[in-house]
Amino acid sequence: MARYGMALDYKSCINCKACEVACKEENGILMGADKHRIWVGNGEIEGQYPLLDITSNAFYPSQCQHCDEAPCEEVCPTHATYYTEDGIVRVDPEKCILCSYCMNACPYDARYVDDRTVTVDKCTFCADTRLARGETTTACQNTCPTKVRIFGDLDDPNSEISEVLRTREHFSLKANLGTKPKLFYLT
Amino acid sequence: MEVEISRRKFLQGTVAMSVVGATAATSLLSNEHGGGAKPGVVSFHNTKTGTGKSHDVATLCEMCVNKCAALARVENGVVTKLNPNPLFPKSKNMLCARGNAGIQALYDPDRLKYPMIRIGEKGEGKFKRVTWDEAYEAILNGTDKFPGLSKIMDEEQDNRSTMLFCAGEGMAEHTFKQFYQAFGSANWLNHASICLQTVTSGYGVTLGSYPQADLDNAEYVIMAGANRAEAIVTPDTMDIFKRTKRRGAKLICVDPRFTNTAAKSDKWLAIKPGTDLAFVLALTYVTLNENLQDNDYIKKYFNGYEEYKKSVLDNKYTPEWAEPITGIKAEDIYTIAREFAAAAPKAVYYPGRRSTFAKNDFQLRRAMAIFQALHGGIDTEGGLIFGSKLALQPHEGLQPLYEKAQARAVVKSTDGKGYDDCAVISGGGSWIAWRNRFLEGKMPYKVRGMFCYKHNPMMNMPNSAKTAEMLKKMELVVTIDTMPSDTVMYADVVLPECTYLERTDPVKTFGGVEPSIAVRNKVIDPMFETKPVMEIMKGLTTKISKPLFEISKKYDEEIQDAIEEDGEEETYAEFDLTLPFRHTQEELNHHAVAKYEGAAEQLHHHGIFYPKQDEYYKQLAINKFQYYPEKKKYYSTRGGKPKTPSGKVECNLASFASKGIDPMPVWRDEYAFSVPSGKFRLLTGRHAQFTQSGTSNNAMLRDLMPENFIWINKRVADKKGIKFADTVEVSSSVGKTQLKAYPTEKIAPDQVFFIHGFGEESEELTWAYKNGGNDNKVIEDNIEPVYGAAAMHETNVEIRKV
Ligand code: SF4
Ligand code: SF4
Ligand code: SF4
Ligand code: SF4
Repeated sequence: MARYGMALDYKSCINCKACEVACKEENGILMGADKHRIWVGNGEIEGQYPLLDITSNAFYPSQCQHCDEAPCEEVCPTHATYYTEDGIVRVDPEKCILCSYCMNACPYDARYVDDRTVTVDKCTFCADTRLARGETTTACQNTCPTKVRIFGDLDDPNSEISEVLRTREHFSLKANLGTKPKLFYLT
Repeated sequence: MEVEISRRKFLQGTVAMSVVGATAATSLLSNEHGGGAKPGVVSFHNTKTGTGKSHDVATLCEMCVNKCAALARVENGVVTKLNPNPLFPKSKNMLCARGNAGIQALYDPDRLKYPMIRIGEKGEGKFKRVTWDEAYEAILNGTDKFPGLSKIMDEEQDNRSTMLFCAGEGMAEHTFKQFYQAFGSANWLNHASICLQTVTSGYGVTLGSYPQADLDNAEYVIMAGANRAEAIVTPDTMDIFKRTKRRGAKLICVDPRFTNTAAKSDKWLAIKPGTDLAFVLALTYVTLNENLQDNDYIKKYFNGYEEYKKSVLDNKYTPEWAEPITGIKAEDIYTIAREFAAAAPKAVYYPGRRSTFAKNDFQLRRAMAIFQALHGGIDTEGGLIFGSKLALQPHEGLQPLYEKAQARAVVKSTDGKGYDDCAVISGGGSWIAWRNRFLEGKMPYKVRGMFCYKHNPMMNMPNSAKTAEMLKKMELVVTIDTMPSDTVMYADVVLPECTYLERTDPVKTFGGVEPSIAVRNKVIDPMFETKPVMEIMKGLTTKISKPLFEISKKYDEEIQDAIEEDGEEETYAEFDLTLPFRHTQEELNHHAVAKYEGAAEQLHHHGIFYPKQDEYYKQLAINKFQYYPEKKKYYSTRGGKPKTPSGKVECNLASFASKGIDPMPVWRDEYAFSVPSGKFRLLTGRHAQFTQSGTSNNAMLRDLMPENFIWINKRVADKKGIKFADTVEVSSSVGKTQLKAYPTEKIAPDQVFFIHGFGEESEELTWAYKNGGNDNKVIEDNIEPVYGAAAMHETNVEIRKV
């Protein structure tokens, strides 16, 4: 048993989208820009050429936060959304009725519809591919050129992620909502 | 800190480089069907990796030029995933978006699958499927539509140079080049003159080598005209944006556009296109005027320092002088020069690796190299480095001399200064100059046919209309490629190569701070009837060698004499074109690394080898690997000594003066940037999700960016009534193209930009067909004067909403 989480050195992200393709290839994700488990958020630049605000153009790599208190799980009428014993939030395609309550409940917009399985899908921390094979990295973490992600067991005090979270400042997204995300943004 | 990151926001907001904009909100293609030119084609599959039996094959990526190490996961004979191979010091356990999408190159439904010969009109794209032997036969003896080699060579009386050979970059380029050498032509054109010719040569003549940058240890980096966040180069991209930056190194980005590199920099300087030379000269002025240079280094390793100093100071290349030319504030130039000097020698003026943009590019690269050297940052940790390289055992090629083969089709200029087209003829030639000379009928002899390997001249060089004309005029065009590109449409004979995942390529040595040898191992057997170029060459030469020798016998008196003396068999042995292709690639690779114990085995199983790898290589953390212990790295191999024949930094090249080239970098008024009112300067460039036209049909990558958009300044667009995703027509004196608009403040009001490689017109490409705009239909065929490299940023265009 583990409690998986991810720390993101998001300031190193160059918005190259290697993580997105790695995720799609590993997990057989549908094509289409709205069909992805992982994305990089960034806003349009502020200012007028050539006086532009560099910081307004920051890149925010993101995916499902694997909330400890997941609103998506709370609202799911069929309990299709569940917590695995490793703390991963997953969806059971057998039980999903596509009511899309979870999509609306998720404050992070992490979910989308997989048209093949007719299920709401999202990041699984590669649970049924890489982790199922005993691998210890996720596809998005492993491939990243600037090594943005550290994936690991939050319950293991000796894991690299625990160490990093002890020693470096970090923040969670929308922390005020009490969802207790397991994605940590390192500053 | 509170950050809003949502998918919907992403969909609406992220247009930037990866234009996913408005069109992307609806799924572009589902997994089961494509939405391209060919109706009813079921074409695209994306498989999930399984948990059952699988094996990994160590290969090297070929989605761009970097050759990052990959491990291909194979399940039931199908490649299901490409993962980074952590063993390679160059790529340091990464694969970019393209590297990950390599699977789609392998399973692209539009791939060339079998040999074909033309049955329609030239360029019409009508072919007939044939066997390999029939294809070779057609090359030798032609059909009713086109002449074969025997006719051409006989009529040209064995002038082997009547055939042009051209190739794109790649690990098997060497194999094809051996065919060119054995064939005996003098006309070889490669991608250099539409790529990095001036930068490699500029550094080459100044420092004796095109160095690497130790961005891992540099404390101050000026990145001008290089966009490493988007034009990925390994290990530079990883080094600069990860460790170096986080460690506190300062990154100055100099670019007319606000790129992703600018977004990651500490300071972005919006420079006017083509004026980088003035910027470097002003930095040099501050250095020399304020005595910031490394006098010890200069004393030991400079030639012509006093002359150059005098030139820079006398010409008064002050920051105040540079300000109106470059658009960069004088005070910024002072600050940067001083900061650079303070950080030196751990300071890098990044050499870059890109196409020639302006006509002064060669002089710019010289000025950059000299500026770097003035601060002593050569062959040293944190500066520019030469590194070390593991030697490979060469193998035998064949370079016979044919009496009737003419020299390269260039013409010496009448004023005695260099050649008609440019001052210096490099090994790769000047593509544009050669093409135009051919079209204008100014060749010293007839060139009648061409072999084209992994190269797409229709897309890759300015003025596509002229390239089309050239291809039509060529009587015999043979293309070897994986995809039915625009160029392939003009072929007479099409030979389908397998993709990089289906072949073993020549083993390659990678020099640098942490040298290694790497190999691309075959992952799965070639699909359809495709073959690796090695086998294609073997089959083709087996067919044509003897018949061509018979023609040579007719015209070549030296061969006739040799036969008289040594007999036919012995003479033919020297002209037997099959010779370089007798061994398998695996055998040749074995031979190449024979002197390193265990290397062949290691390369076969793990892809990467270097001495003491077992002892040195360690995983230090989840994302961190050690390749060499710090003390064993090759930061300095020559104590700072440049690699020029003189062992000095060459400031003043007298030999160039005699060719009409400025012997020292100086600014000339004609270099100044100006755009007639109502027009825009067209900029082009690269992108982290596409590699030129080579990846344009990759379904996975198109999913990230469905098409290219033209960047136009927001305020200008407002005035012209151009909104996001409006279609605009871009036109110049040579042609026009259409694409959608992306109004943004990331570009200057008098400039526009779009990514190269889109807008192909081959109907055989489901996703690339007429998708977005083609820059080379619009870019005028300007060449820079030294090597004849294409100057890509010298074209002004008009924009019209359609
Ligand atoms: S792979 Fe890494 S750098 Fe690239 S977009 Fe993803 S997180 Fe950012
Ligand atoms: S991020 Fe959204 S989908 Fe993921 S666990 Fe939290 S609420 Fe559920
Ligand atoms: S952890 Fe796995 S499933 Fe989640 S985004 Fe990364 S690659 Fe995709
Ligand atoms: S940079 Fe990307 S495309 Fe180029 S070789 Fe590396 S992984 Fe492949």
